[in-house]
Amino acid sequence: MKKELLIKQQKRSNPLAHVFDDFIGFCQSKSLFMLHYCTGCGAIELPPAMTSRFDMERLGIQPMVTPRQADILLITGYVSIKTLKRVILTYEQMQSPKYVIGICSCTVNGGMYWQSYATAKKLNEYMPVDVYIAGCMPRPEAVIEGLKRLKNNIMQDKKQHKGSAWKDYYKNYDYYLGNQQHLFGDDWQTPVDVIAEAKLYGLEGEGTYGKNTDKLKKVQQPLLPQEMKL
Amino acid sequence: MNAMNNKSIDEILAKVNGIKITHKRARRIRVDVAADSLTTVLELIKGQASYVHLSAISCVDWIDDNQFELVYHVWSYEENCLISAHTRIDREEAKFVSVYDLYKPADFFERDIFEMFGIFFIGSPRMEKFILTEWYGMPPMRKDFDSEAYVQETFNWTEYNPDWLQEITEQGGGIAIKPEEIRMAGQLHNMSTHREREKAKKDHVVGKGWKS
Repeated sequence: MKKELLIKQQKRSNPLAHVFDDFIGFCQSKSLFMLHYCTGCGAIELPPAMTSRFDMERLGIQPMVTPRQADILLITGYVSIKTLKRVILTYEQMQSPKYVIGICSCTVNGGMYWQSYATAKKLNEYMPVDVYIAGCMPRPEAVIEGLKRLKNNIMQDKKQHKGSAWKDYYKNYDYYLGNQQHLFGDDWQTPVDVIAEAKLYGLEGEGTYGKNTDKLKKVQQPLLPQEMKL
Repeated sequence: MNAMNNKSIDEILAKVNGIKITHKRARRIRVDVAADSLTTVLELIKGQASYVHLSAISCVDWIDDNQFELVYHVWSYEENCLISAHTRIDREEAKFVSVYDLYKPADFFERDIFEMFGIFFIGSPRMEKFILTEWYGMPPMRKDFDSEAYVQETFNWTEYNPDWLQEITEQGGGIAIKPEEIRMAGQLHNMSTHREREKAKKDHVVGKGWKS
């Protein structure tokens, strides 16, 4: 019989554990790679925030090209339902710890597209959001301020559990999946097996399973390698 | 005047039944035509008068008349002139013939209209979903589709959260200009210095609402 790979939280006996926590939090907050998913108009405020005028890199934040190597997912503006599918796929590909920042009013409550049939309204119904930067559009100062706040949250994560919103996705997967199914239909399935990941990280909670994950199990098809065609 | 065979649009289209040609401006011509002779018009202006570029097909929902209006915008590079051919079809039936064999780009335009208005184009190669792949309701550009009611049904609304805002205000952030002051914002901008603006705010010269 195969042994299941589980990382269990052990009792901490090291007297320097808190010092290490602080040190790890400090190091994590000083080196962040950012994947910016530029969906809306807020993207135009990013070039000044990244380049010499406001200079994001002095905070240790750099743009990154692939989701698998990125720490921050930055969503700048309205998310249409079609885009939301891609955003969720991108988010699930990212390796934890991962952080989501929603820029502009549109990610908070739909903003000026609040009565549009095609845009999703609240981003944090579909994935846990760490920091919102509201405004239409927020100035680069506000973007930098938001990033600083995220850095603070990461630094204090071990003490106050502020920067660990990504754990919420595993703990309450049923809730997020239910909202996704509400928009995309009941046959919605992503290539990432979130429940298996939750088991692996030891982050299963009561909210991980529910009627929505049961629905997923019925339609879930095993993932096969794609055929190569020319 | 057409340079090639010296026939004007009026002469070319004269034989079409029930046609109405309006010269709006020097380079804009409007043609109103019955639905069954629209393809004839397009074939004539493409074959005899160099209108080779179908730049768009647009659709208008006239819900009170129970009709859809289809507008074919056709451009000529030689005349530098745009013809818009208007026609009306029945709204209940919502079927029309495709012009894909005349103009290949019509494929996309017709697919778009099929998706947004639900008009089926007979003979169009791909009458299937185009942009709204996650859409299962009625075509959303129809006038009887209530977008706001759909949003209320489908999505949750974020309430304005004072606790959350207070925390930010304590740190020096929050709302800079209150909604009632925005109406008078023009006056504030006209004042040259910061001190003047602050004084005006203090004395309640501005910010009491637009009636005062």
